[in-house]
This record gives sequence, C-alpha cells and structure tokens, in this order.
Amino acid sequence: MAQEIQRLKEELNRKRKEIEDIKKLANKEIDRSFPHNLEEFSERELESYIAESIASIKTEIDSRPAKEPITSHRKVIGRPIVTLKRFLLQSLADYNDLFLDKQIRFNRQSVDLYQALLLRTKHNKERMKQIQEQISSCEESLVILKAKLEDLRANLEQGKNLDEGPKLPVQD
Amino acid sequence: MSKEERIIQELAKETNEIAAAQGIQAAYNHVLRAEVALHLRRPSLAIYDHSFHFIGGAQRYGLTMASALQDRFDITLVVNHEVSHRDFVDWYGLDLSSCRIKVIKLPFFEERGLRHLDPAIIPPETRNPFHLVSRESGGYDIFVNNSMNEMVYPLSGLSVLVCHFPERRPQTYFYADRYTHVVCNSLYTAEWVKKKWRLTSPQQIYPPVDMENAAAGLPKKKLILSVARFEVEGSKRQKEMVEAFLSLNEKWPEIAKDWSFILAGGSNPDNPYLAGLEKMIAAKRGQNIELKVNLPVDELNRLYQEATLFWHMCGLKHEDPSGIEHFGMTTVEAMQNRAVPIVYDGGGLREIVDHGVNGFRAKSKAGLLEYTLKLFRDGKLVRALAQSAHKKAQTYTRAKFEAGIRAFFGDMLNTYISALDTGSPE
Repeated sequence: MAQEIQRLKEELNRKRKEIEDIKKLANKEIDRSFPHNLEEFSERELESYIAESIASIKTEIDSRPAKEPITSHRKVIGRPIVTLKRFLLQSLADYNDLFLDKQIRFNRQSVDLYQALLLRTKHNKERMKQIQEQISSCEESLVILKAKLEDLRANLEQGKNLDEGPKLPVQD
Repeated sequence: MSKEERIIQELAKETNEIAAAQGIQAAYNHVLRAEVALHLRRPSLAIYDHSFHFIGGAQRYGLTMASALQDRFDITLVVNHEVSHRDFVDWYGLDLSSCRIKVIKLPFFEERGLRHLDPAIIPPETRNPFHLVSRESGGYDIFVNNSMNEMVYPLSGLSVLVCHFPERRPQTYFYADRYTHVVCNSLYTAEWVKKKWRLTSPQQIYPPVDMENAAAGLPKKKLILSVARFEVEGSKRQKEMVEAFLSLNEKWPEIAKDWSFILAGGSNPDNPYLAGLEKMIAAKRGQNIELKVNLPVDELNRLYQEATLFWHMCGLKHEDPSGIEHFGMTTVEAMQNRAVPIVYDGGGLREIVDHGVNGFRAKSKAGLLEYTLKLFRDGKLVRALAQSAHKKAQTYTRAKFEAGIRAFFGDMLNTYISALDTGSPE
C-alpha cells in the first residue's frame, strides 16, 4: 500500500512542479487590492502617505497630452493629410490651451497650498514638541520636589515623635 | 478486495476528484494527509524565517518551537541564507540536529547583495520574490511562517503564520488571511492583528524567556539596569532614560549618588545614536552612568542578578503602535532575576507588569522618576515587588512555551488526521 501511495504522490508532485504559477497551484486568484482607510492610519503612516501622494500629484500638474509627430504612410495624399491634421490639431490645441492653462495654474496652486499647509503643520508640531518638553521638565522637577517634601515631612514627624516618645521607622 | 486495496482505490478516486475540482496542489496535500493518517510516516513540518541567519527574539521563538516539536515531526528549517546547526547552539543554546536546513536563495535580494531581506522594499509592480518560498511550502503537511512576512502564500494543507507585530497594512501580496492559523506573541500583537489585518481569532502564545538559571544568589546592588538594543533611530528610548537619571543626579544628588545606572545592549559598529549617548553622559558628568555594548551572556546574567531596579521605556513618545514594545523579553528576564521593573505603560509591557503589584508602569519621564524615588526610599516595597515580579515571570518560561506549542500543534494534527476518513490498516 505504501508503495502505491508513494507512486501516486510522486506523480502528483511531478505535475505540481511543472506548474510555474502560484495562482494555478492555489487554484484561485490570490492577489487582491486593498482600499486605504485613512482614519485608521497612525501619524507615521499618514506622513508617508502624504509624502507619496504629493509626489504623485506633482507629476500630474501638467495634464496636457504629450505631442506626437504626425505622419502618414500614404504616398500621394499623405502630405495634404498631414498638413490638414497639423492645422486641425493646432487649432484644437490653441482652443484647449485656453482651458488647460487655467487648470494647470490651479493644479500648481493646489500643490503649493498642500505643501504650505504641510509646512505649517510641521512647524506647529515642532512648537508642540517644545511645549511638551517644557511641561515634561516641570513635571520631573515637581516629582522630585514632592519626594523631597515627603522626606522632610517624615523627618519632622520623626523629630516630633522623638520629643514625644519612641522613634518610628520611616525608611527601611 | 482486501481492505488495503479498497483504501488505495478510494484514495485514488478522491485524489482525482480533488485534482479536478481544486487543482493539483490540493490533491497532493490530500495524499500527504493520507500518508500521515495511515501512519506511513511522521508528519512533516517546515518552519520558515527569512532572518534565521541573524540573532533575534523572533528567531528564538521559531527555533524553540522547532526544538519542542522535533520529536513528533520531521522538521525542515527553511532559510534564505546559509546558517548552521552550530550557529543555533551558539546563539540560543538549542540543539536542532534532527532538523534539516534547506536554503532557498531569492534572486531579488541576491542580485542587490542584501543580507537583510526586507519585504517592505518590494515595489508592487515587481514579481513577488517570496513566491519561491510559497512554492516550497506546498511540500509539507504543515508550513509555519515565523518571519512576520505576510508575502508568502501557504500551499500546504495546514499553515501557521507567527506574527510578532503586523508591521504593514494589507497591500499587494498580502496573504496573512490565507493561513489556517495566526499565532501572536502577545495580546497586544493579537489586538493589532485584529485591527490592522481584520483577522478575527488569532491565537496567542507568549515567547520563551529563560534567564532563571541566573537567579541564584549574588547580592543586589544599588543598580538600575536597562537592557535593550541600541537602535540607530533610538526607538528603545535610552536617551530619555539617561536624561531622567541625569536630572535626578542634578536635582537630588544626595539620593542619586549611591545609585548607578547601566545601559546594556547590542549595537552595530559606528552607531551615531550610541555616540550621542556617550557624548551626553560625558557632557553632564554622569559618572554613575555606564554603557555596556555587546556584552557576553554571562556578564549580562551577572548584571541581571545584581540589579535592584530595571528600566524599560520603549514606547515613550511613540505615536505609532509598532514603536511600542510588542512584548518585552528583557523585562521578563529582569523579573526572573528579581529586579523590580519600571516600564513604559503601553504595548505588551502592560501584560507583563501589573502596576503596584510586581513593578510600576509609567507614561512619562516624570512617572519613571516618581516610582524610582518611591523605591529608592522604601526597601521593604522593593523586596515585596521583586518577589512578586519573580513569581509573575514564571508565566513566560521555556517550559510553559513548549507545553503551549505542543498542545497547539497536537490539536492541529489531530484535526488534520481525523478530517480524513481513510481509516488505519489493521
């Protein structure tokens, strides 16, 4: 029986090794897309998300399509077609530019505004950090003062008890 | 027809049906399972970690797991870089000689000369370099991915993803939800696995901590100890702890002068963070502060034994949950040696230290100082907390870990076998 099962296993293993694609081995679609839920993001995640987004938006400021050379493979009527196409496209481009220039200006301003707001947030964060440091330093001093005060009070109590009767231990 | 012939016939029929409906891999898994159910061989188990060639807590977790299971399973350690059985003895004291080591080189990282295989650097448009490991996973009964690398697709009949923290959110090549089980090192990690990966019921098994041998008898000194790696980004917060101790030196020298503070930890050469710490201590004349880098284990053990207090503030001023200690092995090591922990109030440290019972938890440097001063001035409290700390630390021993692992895999194996209605030969 063991030999039979071994034979079956080897045959399946051979077939398994022939399959290159993991998706085929798993016999299902394995890759999916996952939408972002920004509200769940931590500060660190938000920072890298903002940086990536701004970099990506920056590349899209000028949304005009890249100009491609106009050519024709027709021998006789090719030249007039090219001339006509050029004329039409140029006319259209001039007309489109009226709108697109405005859009590009708006895009550029939007990106600048994002960056300005980001800078302001950064400055505010720095300021907040400084204030937190100051508060933290005050808290530390306060803790030490409080402990000193407790010791002083205990010593006074000890002195008082010394006058009145047997000494009470305050420290181990 | 004999019973054996009937079994073979049924198995062949089932395998053909599975191959037609679910593909060759599923059919192969079915035959593997039948072999185990019929007691023709021991179950095979692969443990993969792309960082087995480095020393680390997560790696210790996976290898101790292998050590606990090697008498019941045929274990293969799947690695991406050469590493030897001798290394595992030297680094962790683990004899894994009955485990096989299989090296699978990943061209994406080899071509770039990268020894540290960081899945985060793989662009979404690149072909997944870990598919070579995914393919390997299909050759075993159980595949364990110990490397916090959710980009490996498990093809085995049973699979386990060990997660020490869900670093990345689901994105391209995310397969964590394709594993049969997800095991976390702490409740904190399990909570974040639920939140970040939307997985409903991750299992939780605490890591093994074994510093108990060192607990025998050296007298305690007025010593505060910190043990943590000197990370270049300063994520373990040694700078803040030094600042706190310097502040104590400055504001209450009479009480601080009898105490010393030692910060021990590993570091790479030319570490700017470490250099900054040295500079800071020298500038403020912190003579009672010492940095001990890359100490041998026996020296570290001695420090644990001598320390009265243990500071660990990893997580302080961190907004990102991944920057907070996911568990806190060194804190447990200190507790096993009866040092009273004062730790950051967050992450896995909350599970280890019960505030006011076996140590203290602080949210800030002021809190750290407050509880330290309390303990400086109350020896009775120190002794009581140290005793409780030692007791609590027994929750995380290697014996407990191994028992948990054996039970977990034992249950899994029973379900694996019983799900197959083949019946054993008489």
